[in-house]
Amino acid sequence: MTPEHVTRLGFAQDLPPWAPLVAGLLTLASLVLLAVELRRSERARRGLVAVTAAVAQLALFLAVVRPVRVASSESVVGPRVVVMVDQSRSLALKDGAEARAKLRDRALESLRKSAPSARISMIGFGGDKPTKVAVGALPTESHSDLRKATAHLAESADERPEALVVVSDGRLEDPPEDATDAALVDLFPGAKVHTIATTRRVPKDASVRRVSAAGAVAHVPLPLRVDVGCDGGMTCKELTVVARELRENGPPALLASGVANVKDGIAHLDLTITFERAGPRVLEVAIETPEGDEIPENDKRYITFNVTRERIRVLHVAGRPTNDVRALRQWLKGDASVDLVAFFILRTPTDNPNASSDELALIPFPVDELFSEHLPSFDAVVLQDFDAQPYNMEKHLPALANYVRAGGGLVMVGGPNSFVAGGYADTPLAEVLPVRLDGALGATAADQAKVVPTYTDEGRDAPLLAPLRKLLGDELPEMPGANVLGDVREGSIALMRHPNRSTKSGLRMPLLAIGDQGNGRSVALGLDGAWQLQFSDVGARTSGRGYGALWDGLLGWLMRDPRYEPAQLELTSDCVAGQPGTLRVHTPAYMGEKVHLDLVRLGADGKGVNVPVADVPRGARTLDIPLPALAAGAYAARVRLGQAPATRRDFACEAGGDEWADSRPDPERLKRLAKATGGSFQWADEPVVLPLPKPTVVASERHVSPIVPPWVLVLGAAASLAVSLFVRRRSGLA
Amino acid sequence: MAKAYVVLCAAAVVSLVAALPKPALGFGDTGAFDPRVLVAGGVKGAARVSSPGRWSWELQQRTSAPARLRPSTVRADDPSLASAPFAVWSGETSPDPLTAGEIAGLRRYFALGGMLLVDDAGATDSGQPSSFGVGARREISRVMPDTTPIAIGPEHVVFRSFYLLRRAEGRVRGPKTLDAIVRGGQAQVIFTTHDLGGALARGVTGSWEHPVVPDGDTQREHAIRLAVNVAMYVLCSNYKDDQVHAAWLMRRRALSGAP
Repeated sequence: MTPEHVTRLGFAQDLPPWAPLVAGLLTLASLVLLAVELRRSERARRGLVAVTAAVAQLALFLAVVRPVRVASSESVVGPRVVVMVDQSRSLALKDGAEARAKLRDRALESLRKSAPSARISMIGFGGDKPTKVAVGALPTESHSDLRKATAHLAESADERPEALVVVSDGRLEDPPEDATDAALVDLFPGAKVHTIATTRRVPKDASVRRVSAAGAVAHVPLPLRVDVGCDGGMTCKELTVVARELRENGPPALLASGVANVKDGIAHLDLTITFERAGPRVLEVAIETPEGDEIPENDKRYITFNVTRERIRVLHVAGRPTNDVRALRQWLKGDASVDLVAFFILRTPTDNPNASSDELALIPFPVDELFSEHLPSFDAVVLQDFDAQPYNMEKHLPALANYVRAGGGLVMVGGPNSFVAGGYADTPLAEVLPVRLDGALGATAADQAKVVPTYTDEGRDAPLLAPLRKLLGDELPEMPGANVLGDVREGSIALMRHPNRSTKSGLRMPLLAIGDQGNGRSVALGLDGAWQLQFSDVGARTSGRGYGALWDGLLGWLMRDPRYEPAQLELTSDCVAGQPGTLRVHTPAYMGEKVHLDLVRLGADGKGVNVPVADVPRGARTLDIPLPALAAGAYAARVRLGQAPATRRDFACEAGGDEWADSRPDPERLKRLAKATGGSFQWADEPVVLPLPKPTVVASERHVSPIVPPWVLVLGAAASLAVSLFVRRRSGLA
Repeated sequence: MAKAYVVLCAAAVVSLVAALPKPALGFGDTGAFDPRVLVAGGVKGAARVSSPGRWSWELQQRTSAPARLRPSTVRADDPSLASAPFAVWSGETSPDPLTAGEIAGLRRYFALGGMLLVDDAGATDSGQPSSFGVGARREISRVMPDTTPIAIGPEHVVFRSFYLLRRAEGRVRGPKTLDAIVRGGQAQVIFTTHDLGGALARGVTGSWEHPVVPDGDTQREHAIRLAVNVAMYVLCSNYKDDQVHAAWLMRRRALSGAP
C-alpha cells in the first residue's frame, strides 16, 4: 500500500459543491441569451460583441469559482477480511489420502491469491481464545467453537472487518447443527460471512459419538446414554457397547454392557452403571471395531466422573463410652452430610449389669457382618479407643487394611485401648496407619503425663488444620496423656507432636499424623482428650468450635475435600493422546519442598510413567509440570510436596476426543451460515473466488493552491465586463 | 524335678505378664463419667453426699464406661464448670436466687452442650416436689428463659440407653416420667422428682442410707438402673436412637411386654 502522488484541478474549497454548477449554468444561460440577442440583431460588429461578452462571462465565472490546483498523496486500501480458520482436531482427520487441514491450507492460499488487495487476517478458532494459524501443521484444538472466536473478535479494539470468511469442515460445537438463521446472523451482526468447506467425503466410520450422564453419586445407579454412529457406507446393524471403570492395580471393572441397534446410521443405548467409591473415576465406553472402520480411534471414549457422595458414610466404633466418644458422636451426628453407623461397646464380659439380657438395651456387636459384608459401603471407619482382640476382630484386620488401600479412610483415635494397647502392632492394620507401632513385648502403650501438643511446621502449614489454627492459633488445651506412637511412615507426616517425649529414633513423638495408604488415607490421633477443645477454658473462649474445626479438617482431608488438600492439580488443557501436556500444581503450603510426581496408567499393569519434576522454588505458588506425550487411556497423577501426603488427580487422554467422535463433515451448516448472513459458499478443492468488498482510497496528504490569485480573477472579470459593455454601447445595444 | 518345673512355669507366667503392653492406668480418666456436684443458689453440696461416688461405682461395675469414683464439686460461677459436660444439682430446701455470675456460668455451660441433672432430694413419698424442686425449676428458667420442661417417658432414649426401663423411679416412686429441657434434640436439663441420689446413697458401712418406698430393693435396683441410663445418655447421647438399634429394641420390647 505505497502512497501515490496525484495532482488535480478544482474549485475554491470554500464554495459549496452546488455553487460551481449554478455558476456554470448561469454562464451558459447568459451565452445562450447573448447568441439569441445577436441573431435577432442586425447591428454591426456583432462578432466583437459576442467575443467580448463571452470573455466577460467566462471571466466572471472564473472569478466566482476561483480555480485551484490540488496536489495529494493517496493510498488504495483493500477491505479488511478476517478469515476464521478451523483449528480443531477434526481437521486432522483424513479425507482420502490427505488430512482435511491440507485442503484447508490450500483454500487459504487460493483465497490470498484471489484477493491480493484485501487485508486478510487469519484467526484460528477452536477453544476459548483465538489462536495463531500455523499453516502446514496439524490442528490440535479439542473444541471447535466458532461463536467464542467471533465474540472475541467483536470485543477486540481492532478495526472492524468488512467481511468474515470461515474455513472449516462444518463439524462445529457452536453454532450447533440445529442453530436457527437468527442465531447464525447473531454470530457477527452486520457482516457477511463467506464459508469455505474443506471436506465433501464422509469417512467409513463407526464411533461412540456421545456419552451423556448426570452427576455421579457413589452407590447410586447412574443412567448413561450412549449415542453410537455408523456412517460413510458402512453396514452396522448391531454394535456391542461396553462400559468399564478403569482402576488402579487391576483390570478394568465391567459396569454395564448392551447392544445398540443401528438405524439410519445412528443408535441410542441406555445403560445403568454404579460407582462404588467416591472421587474421580474414569469410565471407558467402547464398541467393538467393525470391519472397514477407517477411524478406530473413536471407537473408545474415556469419561472422567467426579463421583460425589450423597452423604459421607462413616462407621464409628468405640471401645467404651467416654467424653471423647460423646464429643465425636455429637459432632458426627450434627453434620447433615454424614450418614453415621455407630457401635459402642457398652458392656464388656467382666461387667455385671445385674439384669437379664432382655432387660438390657444392648445388641450384639455384629463384627463379622460389619467388617466383611458392609465394609465397602463405608467411606471412612473410625476406631476410637477400641481393642480389637476381645471382639474377634483380628481376623478382619487384613480386610480392613485392604479396604484402606482400595480407597477407604481410616481414623484411629487414642485412648487406653488404642494403638499398642489395642494389640494393633504387627498386624496388617498397623501397616496402613501413618505411624509405626512398637510390637515388642512390654512395649509402653501410653504416656500418662499431661500433655499440650505442639504443631509441627507441616501442621502449621496444613490446610486441614487451618480452621482450628484460625480459632486458636498455636494454643491447644492440656490433655490427659497420650498413646505412645512410633515414627511416621514414609508418605506420612506428623502435624502435632509431643513436646517432650521422643520416639526410639530420637524424633519427637507424633500425636497427630496423616498419610496415604494406597488409594486410601489414614489418620492417627494418639490422644483421647480432643474433647477438651470443646469443654475447657480454651473451649469456653471459642464456644467449643475448636473440636468441630479439628474434625472438619480431619474428615474433610480423609474424603479428599479440595479445601484441605495440600495442593490443587489441573491440566492446563485437555489431554490428547500423543501430545505433550502440562499439569499445573497450585499449593498454599510446603513451599520450597521437593516435588514428586507419580503417574500411573489406570486399568493396566499399574506401571508408572517416569516424569522428571523440578523442585518448587521457595515462595512459588504454582508449578507447571510438563507431561510427556501419553498413550490413550486413563491416568492417576499423584503430586507430593516434600513428605506430605500426595494430592491425586485422575484424568483421561483420548486419541480422538469429542472432535473425532463424529467424523462426518457438515458442509450444509456452512452453506446455511453463508446464506443467512448474505455471504457465499465455496468448496476448498475449487478455486476460491469470493465477492469481497472493493478497496477504498484514502488521502494521506493534500495541498490546495490557487492557479491565479483571486484578486486577478476579480480584476479580469471587472475589466472584461467593462470592455463588453463598451463594445455593446458602441454597437448600439443596450 | 516337679518343683523346678512349677517354678519355671511360674517364672514364665510372671515374665509374660510383665511383658504384656502396660495398661494405661489413669490415661483417659479425664474423659470418664464424672457426676460433678453443682454448688449454686446457696446449695453447698450434694444432698446425698455418698450418692455421686456410688453412682460412678455402679456405672463401672455394670458397664464398660469409666467413671470417677471421687466426683468433684464445681461452682456455677467458676470457669471450671465448662471443663466437663455433666453436673448434678440436688437439694432438699428451696435454693436462693442464682447470682448473675452463676447464671452467666450456667448459660456458658449450656451453650457448650453441657448437661445438668436436677435431683429433688426432698420429694415426698407421694412424689410431690419439694421446695428445692420448685425453686430449682424457677432458677433454671432464669438461666434458660426461652425453654420449658417437658415430660419424657419410656419413648425417650434415656429410658433405653443401657437398660430397658418402663418408668422413672428413685428413693420415692414419684411420677412415671422425668421432666427435661430439650434443646437441639438433646435433653440438657433433666429434672427428677424421685430423689435418685437417695436411692444410691450408701454409707461407709456398706448399708443403704435411705429406705426406698414403696417397693424397697426392687425399686432401688430400678433407681440404680435409671442412674446408669442417665450416665450412658451423658456419654453416648442418643446412640440408642440410631436406626441400627431401633428394630432390635422394638422387637425386644414387644417380647417383654414393655410399654
